[in-house]
Amino acid sequence: MPDRRETLTWLLRALALGAAPAAHIDSASARQACGGAPAQPDRLGAAWRGDRGYGRDPDLLHPQVTWALTLTAQQKTAIARLADVFLPEDGSSPAASAVGVPDFIDEWVSAPYPQQQQDRVVILEGLNALGCAAKEPLHTLDAVQAQNLVAGLHARAAEGKQPEARFFDRFRHICLIGYYTTPVGVAELGYVGYQPSPRFAGPPPEVLTRLGV
Amino acid sequence: MATEPFDVIIVGSGAAGGTAAYVLTSLGARVCLLEAGRYYEPGRETPMFQRHGAAPLADAGTPDKPFGFYDATVDGGWVLPEEPYTTAPGTEFRWFRARMLGGRTNHWGRVALRYANHDFKAYSLDGLGADWPFTYEEFAPWYDRAERMVGVFGTNEHLPDIPDSPPGCLQPPPVPRSYERLVIAGGRRLGRPVVASHEAVITQPLNGRLACFYASPCLRGCAIRANFQSPTVMLAPASASGRLTTITHAQVYEVDLAPDGLVRGVHYVDRLTREHHYLAGRAVMLGASAMESVRILFNSRSARFPDGIGSASGLLGRGVLSTPGSNVWGRFPQMEGLPPFNDDGVVSLPHIFIPWWLLPEQRAGRLPFARGYHIELYGGRTEPSAYTFDQFNVVSPLTYGKRLKEEARRYYGSFVRFSQRGEMVMRDSNRVVIDPQMKDAWGIPGLCFDVRWSGQELRQTAHAQRSMVEFIEAAGGQVVSPPPSDPRQAITAPGRMIHEVGGARAGADPRKSVTDSYGRVWGVPNLYVIDGAVFPSSANKNPTLTIIAFAWRASEHLRKYLRKELPHA
Ligand SMILES: Cc1cc2nc3c(=O)[nH]c(=O)nc-3n(C[C@H](O)[C@H](O)[C@H](O)COP(=O)(O)OP(=O)(O)OC[C@H]3O[C@@H](n4cnc5c(N)ncnc54)[C@H](O)[C@@H]3O)c2cc1C
Ligand code: SF4
Repeated sequence: MPDRRETLTWLLRALALGAAPAAHIDSASARQACGGAPAQPDRLGAAWRGDRGYGRDPDLLHPQVTWALTLTAQQKTAIARLADVFLPEDGSSPAASAVGVPDFIDEWVSAPYPQQQQDRVVILEGLNALGCAAKEPLHTLDAVQAQNLVAGLHARAAEGKQPEARFFDRFRHICLIGYYTTPVGVAELGYVGYQPSPRFAGPPPEVLTRLGV
Repeated sequence: MATEPFDVIIVGSGAAGGTAAYVLTSLGARVCLLEAGRYYEPGRETPMFQRHGAAPLADAGTPDKPFGFYDATVDGGWVLPEEPYTTAPGTEFRWFRARMLGGRTNHWGRVALRYANHDFKAYSLDGLGADWPFTYEEFAPWYDRAERMVGVFGTNEHLPDIPDSPPGCLQPPPVPRSYERLVIAGGRRLGRPVVASHEAVITQPLNGRLACFYASPCLRGCAIRANFQSPTVMLAPASASGRLTTITHAQVYEVDLAPDGLVRGVHYVDRLTREHHYLAGRAVMLGASAMESVRILFNSRSARFPDGIGSASGLLGRGVLSTPGSNVWGRFPQMEGLPPFNDDGVVSLPHIFIPWWLLPEQRAGRLPFARGYHIELYGGRTEPSAYTFDQFNVVSPLTYGKRLKEEARRYYGSFVRFSQRGEMVMRDSNRVVIDPQMKDAWGIPGLCFDVRWSGQELRQTAHAQRSMVEFIEAAGGQVVSPPPSDPRQAITAPGRMIHEVGGARAGADPRKSVTDSYGRVWGVPNLYVIDGAVFPSSANKNPTLTIIAFAWRASEHLRKYLRKELPHA
């Protein structure tokens, strides 16, 4: 199974769109967020008009991401650092960044659909908040600093503090999807399937014993 | 390929239209099928082995493709920008459509259950709603034909709510999956039946079609034709007869009534060129899906029927039915941390279900609601997807790092969704009308829905929620999130279960129905409604097998009528 990054084609239409995501974590918007101003849905967050998605009749045999990817290299590096804390290398499988999770998050938060646009605000707003807490630009963090930052994030999320709780939940969720739908992640969970066979044998005896049926 | 003048014009190519096209061409009629959507070929277009991860957003649903990128639905969804509809103030109605050859049969969940006699005669039994104009015994031969053609797996269990099929109708079901075995054991503990589901999937070769090979999700369609889709099962043989002409992108908006009281053709607009066309035929069958067929009737106005063909009784558009539904998720510790094994089965379709088991109690008046429900089960070790972690987030909300990966491995595949499918009591107040303002992209007036749940459906749902909790616990599981105390928060919106039917009900009395027992509009002997619009009641059983059987019966009737009453053409 080739990696999804090889089978997916992105149509980079950034220029055509003039895409300039307003909620960057560049220093200007970070300052804004630190000042307590709530992040507004940016231009891309306007109601979904159905014009930049893959449409209602895409070619299913040749999947394409039809929207421009909007995260900057620095944002993606920052996301990689954090994602690797959420899903680290653990002897059984590699870390999130090794299987393309930052690319997946870029694809997700750049998508024109309502759920993804909502997540975009949560993710960028959360990165802003973390950027304020870190005192250093997020993309320059080393692994230990990233670990400490996420520990602090976790503590605030556990207390229900916003925007940290929201960010923790959605960032983690999108990481999980991105990670466990790769061939590595699928194997890691122990899913076995897509095996044409003349009959369905059902679960093996050892499983039935464990289930007590 | 047949040419004008056609014996029969069929509108819509889904379950109803596909069946009529097959039956009528096999009986020698020359048929023209008008379909609003595009041509579609499952053999070429189905992404059989593509993994979720290879699709945009890992195959998560979007407004473009609500059931995911790879889902079979073409040009469909909950909102069609070109074809809007409205809802009465304070009401909600979710209307899922597909605009493609084969309509919603390309995706559908393929649960294929027979109605029982008490479903056809529910009004006679409890005084609510309306009876069908025939008994189970009278209708059963067409269920037999439908099951033999469609290919349905299942078993005869001699249950009060689920009629047995004659020998040779049902194919053997696949053995249960792991979590399904837990639920069977749970049912045994509770003394309630848990039996093989009836699904429109073949487990043995049928009419030249290959049997299921237990890989590749059914909801994307099936390139080897092992599941039921109208294009592969009904339209392929209809085309091969040489008597079928199919026109796609043809949006029918009006049936043309001649001064002699018969219909003589239809008006349609080509959705691509926006040109208007007229097509002549000796008879017309509407199978555009229940609500669309009602809309076409409303929009077919004449001096004789100023409010639309079929409006004489005042019942056109009334008695819209939906399926009350709700979910409870269970988590099963026995399923945690299992070794890898293949539990795909008929991918994404249930092998078992829980039929309605309280019919005697209900008949004896011991339940606070009049009609029953069944329970479907989904979950287990399906391919990891954008939805795998929805329940995981509830049970392991704040973990991260190595612990998160451990818990992902541990909890994967241990969740099961129990899902109620109930019967709604038919009421005339639930209806669709033509919205006076709103028109679709081609200028055709659209529908306004006014459909509400009553206490009947809410009390049923409260009961179903409790039952599903009982099942989860009896099977050794725990409820993920406890049911809300108010069933209003549990029941899905009207329409959400995508079983909307009614609006042009069949009956024995022209004053109390829109069509006769064959779907013929009263007073217009060559106009048939053959889809779910004719349902006077909708059992807790998913409607499509009954739509197919009804369309089959209507088509045989029309063939006889064409020979007898209109022998000249
Ligand atoms: C997610 C999902 C799950 C489902 N699961 C089940 C299940 O498990 N069991 C079950 O029994 N049912 C299920 N259903 C419902 C099932 O799909 C429908 O009952 C069935 O397809 C109805 O058949 P039909 O022919 O009436 O309409 P459709 O299948 O909707 O076909 C109607 C066709 O008519 C065309 N059309 C519409 N308007 C016009 C017009 N004006 N002119 C020309 N053509 C027109 C449409 O484009 C469409 O192709 C499910 C549906 C969905 C979407
Ligand atoms: S599970 Fe079987 S019927 Fe369904 S798509 Fe796969 S092969 Fe076809």
